[in-house]
Amino acid sequence: MKIHRKKKLGVILFVAAGLSATVGLTLFALGQNMNMFYTPSQVAMGEVETGRRFRIGGMVKEGSFISESDSLKVRFETTDFVHAVPIEYEGILPDLFREGQGIVAEGSVDSRGVFSASKVLAKHDENYMSQEVKAALDAADALKSNNSLQSISER
Amino acid sequence: MWMWFAKLGSPRWFYEISTKWLPWLASAMCILMIVGIVWALLFLPPDYQQSFTTRILVIHVAVAGTSLAFFPLMAVAGTITLVWKMKLADMVAKHAAPLGAWFSFVTLATGSLWGSVMWGTWWEWTDARLVSMLFQFFLLLSVVALRSAIEDPDKSAKACALLSIVGCINVVIIKYSVEWWNVLHQPSSPLSTSNGSANGPEFWMATGVMILAVYLFFIVSLTLATRNEILQRERRSQWVQEIVRTS
Repeated sequence: MKIHRKKKLGVILFVAAGLSATVGLTLFALGQNMNMFYTPSQVAMGEVETGRRFRIGGMVKEGSFISESDSLKVRFETTDFVHAVPIEYEGILPDLFREGQGIVAEGSVDSRGVFSASKVLAKHDENYMSQEVKAALDAADALKSNNSLQSISER
Repeated sequence: MWMWFAKLGSPRWFYEISTKWLPWLASAMCILMIVGIVWALLFLPPDYQQSFTTRILVIHVAVAGTSLAFFPLMAVAGTITLVWKMKLADMVAKHAAPLGAWFSFVTLATGSLWGSVMWGTWWEWTDARLVSMLFQFFLLLSVVALRSAIEDPDKSAKACALLSIVGCINVVIIKYSVEWWNVLHQPSSPLSTSNGSANGPEFWMATGVMILAVYLFFIVSLTLATRNEILQRERRSQWVQEIVRTS
């Protein structure tokens, strides 16, 4: 390679490396601000000041969902399996919403420690499975747990 | 090796070799595209939690994955333009930018449709994946704008090359945004061939066909656009005039 080309390539690589470092450090400094939501543990640890609007993300705790029969008011708990935060919400929930599903809610924590949400979004994972396969897997699981129950009772 | 490299940069060589390859690439693209779209939109089994909306996934993933290839391609072409001043590299880069903008737009549009059904929102400004993809769309538009803003073709090629190299950083951010930060967007799915696990063959095979089809579409359209550019820029050379005369 000719010397002036080598020099040019060096300058380009240097500029690219410098820019990457700048952007990397900026993103690192932004830290928590780049996150879309806080986890229930972070909220329980008091990382969010009371009264501030923020988003919380976690799973809908099994058996925690209560809905009022005469309005759209619902109450449930969101958990990261360490801490749980109660949420109150009035409005239409996304189709995917159910117990055990990941959600992101926007709102603020009131004086009772309840998160009153103005918006609830459903978050889903990266696993896709056809309904048939899922049904077959569930049936196999049920069979397995039945068998293990039997073997325990036989003992 | 340097001989081969120099040959690659010759527009005439590229024009002739692409004349030979284009029919094959185009027909492979057509077959894969038809198979992929029919498979995805008519025959993909419903997902256990998202039902039929996973049909959007097949197209969204293929287009989104391909859209990430544009900035690296333009950066490599740009580096070659800056260092070796190869004409062909700049012709490719010039037509990659608007095509990439379209790919980014389709990614954002299909993602919005999917999100509106599954997440309950069209757009979230706080999601790093969504915003970095929008940023890529604007960056590609700005490369297009920069190209036409500077009249001197040599200077505009150099400016676009620099901006393309800078834009590569954003591709890394798009790719890893779902792993570095808490976002609404799901991470990339792991590849799995076993029938029992999540992402069994019924989903990833349709997606694989679609990814191949979209990549071929990207290569074929870029080649066609580059061939036009070659004819236009080399219109005074003898070989181009001969082609025009015989056709």
